[in-house]
Amino acid sequence: MSNEETPREMEISCLTQAYITRLQSLDVAIKSNDEEAICHIVGDLTTLRESSLYQELGMLTREIHDSITSFGNDERIAQLANEDIPDSKERLNFIVTKTDQAAHRTMAAAEEAMTVMNGLSVDAVTVLNRWSQFRNRELSKDEFTSLSDQITQFFESVVVQSSTVNKQMTDIMLAQDYQDITGQMIQQVVTMVKEVEEKLVRLVAITGLADASPASKKEESKAVNGEIAVGPQLPNVDKKIVVSSQSDVDDLLASLGF
Amino acid sequence: MDKDLKILIVDDFSTMRRIIKNLLRDLGFNNTSEADDGQTALPMLKTGKFDFLVTDWNMPGMDGLVLLKSVRADPDICNMPVLMVTAEAKREQIVIAAGAGVNGYVVKPFTAVTLKEKIEKIFDRLEK
Repeated sequence: MSNEETPREMEISCLTQAYITRLQSLDVAIKSNDEEAICHIVGDLTTLRESSLYQELGMLTREIHDSITSFGNDERIAQLANEDIPDSKERLNFIVTKTDQAAHRTMAAAEEAMTVMNGLSVDAVTVLNRWSQFRNRELSKDEFTSLSDQITQFFESVVVQSSTVNKQMTDIMLAQDYQDITGQMIQQVVTMVKEVEEKLVRLVAITGLADASPASKKEESKAVNGEIAVGPQLPNVDKKIVVSSQSDVDDLLASLGF
Repeated sequence: MDKDLKILIVDDFSTMRRIIKNLLRDLGFNNTSEADDGQTALPMLKTGKFDFLVTDWNMPGMDGLVLLKSVRADPDICNMPVLMVTAEAKREQIVIAAGAGVNGYVVKPFTAVTLKEKIEKIFDRLEK
């Protein structure tokens, strides 16, 4: 803000000046005992007082009217309600679908890889046992020939299966591409929510809701029934009422005799 | 611990059911079934001869707390051990779940080790 007076401040200083002029005249009239002048100036002051009240009231009415009109004329609000909010809902639904798909794709690949690895592990144990028997000279010539074939097959299968597992690991990596696209979408929604928040704050300021609601009511609306599931909490928010780790849960349960 | 235990996994997100199912299989439990909320789970529990229930809390239809209370209120299945695996992390809620008779409480996100520990602890107590 600059040092220049706003129109309203100028009006007020004009008003003060009008009072000062009249009060000075009143002082002169009293000193000179001019009754007629005293009556006239007092009447003048009353009129001035009343008209300044109406002026104040008029100015306030105009301010409120302007705020409401400018709020109503804000095309952005209509756009937010008609386009941006439905659009954000779509985006959030898309994010749910996309993350769900990615999770399942990742798990499918992991499950397959685990099966392959388990198979390799079982085969390796079998070959290893036979190999130990051979080293302990427990195998006949024929049995050794069969073991030799078994070892060749095992190595061949390691080569093939490694490439399968490698493919699944790549697939797991690629399945994480959802983060890039959903991350950007979440940022868009956050920007939209921020804008709506600013508009709501303005609306609350205009209607004076913020001062009107008593503190007890605010507390009331925040309190929730503990039996109703409210979903995940943000970490490091509301530390007093939310546990921060499994060990916190364990301590709490232990204190209850678990 | 009996690895043939029949376990019901209840969660509205199929991803989470799949994770829990895989972790349980890793621990040697292969006999698992799934349900996506309490309403589906309760009739299964009543007739399915399950030995153990792993449930989420926040679900549409019937939530996990109501399911837990329903299990405890049914004389046929009231002794079934129940492990809650949930994102509900308010102290007040944990106290409520304990009061309703939960046998273990795991907050999401959790690790394989935590899940294993809690399950073992539940069965250790039951065997005593």
